[in-house]
Amino acid sequence: MVRHNGKTQKDKFYACTPKGKNYEVVNPLGEKVKVKGKSLSVTIVNEPGNFTYLIYKKKKYQLEILEKNQNKYTVMINGVWYNFSIETPISYKRMKTLSKTQVLSRVEKITAPMPGKILDIMVEEGSQIKEGEALFILEAMKMQNEIVSNVSGKLGKINFRQNDNVMKDDIILEIERA
Amino acid sequence: MEIKSILIANRGEIAVRVINTARMMGIATWVIKTAKEPNAYYLTQGDHIIDFTERTEEIAEFLDIEAIVKAIKDNNISAVHPGYGFLAESPVFAKRCAEEKIIYIGPSSEAIFKMGNKTIAKQLAREHKVPLLGGSKGNLASPEEAVKIANEIGYPVILKAASGGGGRGMRIVEEEKSIAKMFKMASSEAEKAFNDPDVFVEKYVRNPRHIEFQIFGDQHGNIIHLGERECSVQRKHQKLIEESPSAALDENLRKKMGEAAINIAKSVNYFSAGTVEFLLDDDMKFYFMEMNTRIQVEHPVTEMITGLDLIEWQIRIARGEKLPLKQSEVKINGWAFEFRINAEDVQSGFSPSLGIIEKISLPRSKNIRIDTGVVEGSRITPYFDSMVAKLIVHGETREKAILYSQNALKKLWIKGLKTTIPFCNAVLLNKNFRKGKYDTSFLTKEMTKHYHEGQDDEMLAAFFATYDFVNEVEKVETKEVDFDKGKNIAPWVLKKRLKSL
Repeated sequence: MVRHNGKTQKDKFYACTPKGKNYEVVNPLGEKVKVKGKSLSVTIVNEPGNFTYLIYKKKKYQLEILEKNQNKYTVMINGVWYNFSIETPISYKRMKTLSKTQVLSRVEKITAPMPGKILDIMVEEGSQIKEGEALFILEAMKMQNEIVSNVSGKLGKINFRQNDNVMKDDIILEIERA
Repeated sequence: MEIKSILIANRGEIAVRVINTARMMGIATWVIKTAKEPNAYYLTQGDHIIDFTERTEEIAEFLDIEAIVKAIKDNNISAVHPGYGFLAESPVFAKRCAEEKIIYIGPSSEAIFKMGNKTIAKQLAREHKVPLLGGSKGNLASPEEAVKIANEIGYPVILKAASGGGGRGMRIVEEEKSIAKMFKMASSEAEKAFNDPDVFVEKYVRNPRHIEFQIFGDQHGNIIHLGERECSVQRKHQKLIEESPSAALDENLRKKMGEAAINIAKSVNYFSAGTVEFLLDDDMKFYFMEMNTRIQVEHPVTEMITGLDLIEWQIRIARGEKLPLKQSEVKINGWAFEFRINAEDVQSGFSPSLGIIEKISLPRSKNIRIDTGVVEGSRITPYFDSMVAKLIVHGETREKAILYSQNALKKLWIKGLKTTIPFCNAVLLNKNFRKGKYDTSFLTKEMTKHYHEGQDDEMLAAFFATYDFVNEVEKVETKEVDFDKGKNIAPWVLKKRLKSL
């Protein structure tokens, strides 16, 4: 099926990270797996209702798929998570071409990472924001979380006020990239 | 005084911890069921349940003094254990218990009050010749006074709320020009947060170690200490890893600090478990910070190296018994670490990671102890703190304890949540931590990355994601057979989508 389809090469895939790293995976379901051209000898133990893990070089690695949406994956391995998009050679090629021409969206939307209450907003509409600058404090689970900007730019609209309760993924404010 | 039953005015792991000791002592336990987590594990461990799920009061369940006092009276319960947090350091609660002839398993209301007020606590420390950081003798009357004192003791200084704690209501001031403004901010912040605008100023020690002493007193005037705990691995004043003893102390310093801790406790005729916190600077000078008048989260490291059960001691002392040991009889054996396994995403600034614990597997060994309030299926909710478990590991030496800890963390598997385990791994691999050379600036200065990833982790994760993806595709293609028979249309739609990827 997947492995021996003569028409399209369906045994070669690319797992791409958001930072532009990619892992070429050949024959992922077969006996002779290759990652980045090197053969990989692993055993996957995946029983329903139990932990999933793989054994590689006699070591156990705990695995968990935290999220998957079509070809987008968040995989946790020994407690550390990674994001990947899985691409076929065709979609990989197209992605590469696109990324060259694509312009990043100008407006960065800062959302609430979890439900909580906005204790303080440290910035004002229209002000210049530096990457890493504290934007607001979100209280959740008795902890005060400082939300910092991941971009530099000019602050657009602020959609909430101090003491407002927000839900996860609510857009708190928008920053126009510099 | 006899204690036949104890109400635990708390939840989670500390409720379970108290229940375990009470059970061993043949004392019945009562726990409080709340609507926020009606299926919590601790409820299955207590002997009796008090149902607070139908309450309509605004005030949170574990803070409602009158409701708790009434529940104790109505059910004829002899004593109450407050745990930590919630009402654990409320002098009002302790006083109400005393008035109602309920045995409060903790210190006197007066001791809680005096140590809870930082200005009084400092005054007592000064009177008992315990070293203090230079600063105002009491609360500041005006910004001008703040400027005057700061100039005397030298910058940097720190402004603190008299009723504050846990890092809230604090401002570090580096120079004179900003102190007046900072004073106003700190004061209004304190008013908002603690309903008390009083602020004091003291010398700020950059990058100190946080060393605390476990002390114990009985109601007959005996007070001893059970050694120190090093709690310098902190993030925003929240402790993450603790150890006992501390690599920074020698016998001489331990003796001096222990005596100072006992003196503080004596100043309020302290009984039950208490913790005296000190800052220790680079020159091995120590300064009294505050006293916590309760059992601490990190008490197990002390238990591991002393072989004692501190909850048992608390209960015995509340019954009026004498301390079972003299200072000279306290023996310290080996080294212990405690790792707080919190449901937090260390890759995203320790943000809470809510969810259900789908599966949990704990390491088991003679030198490992796990204190937890969760089991499989437990939910980490936004209503309470994010602690999943405490992993406590003992070794004959610090080096061995580190090694055993690394092995234990490898065997601690949790499915369903992101946790602080990768953070603990990273700390244990840090060179200076391994040498015992670290202070409260460790996280910001030493740790460029807050988690440890193995060399092959990303590659293996990439492979696994691809494996799962292709597996899904194959499942869809297998189902296509059904489509040929005209049974199932969905896989075809999916397959088409996959082809066009």
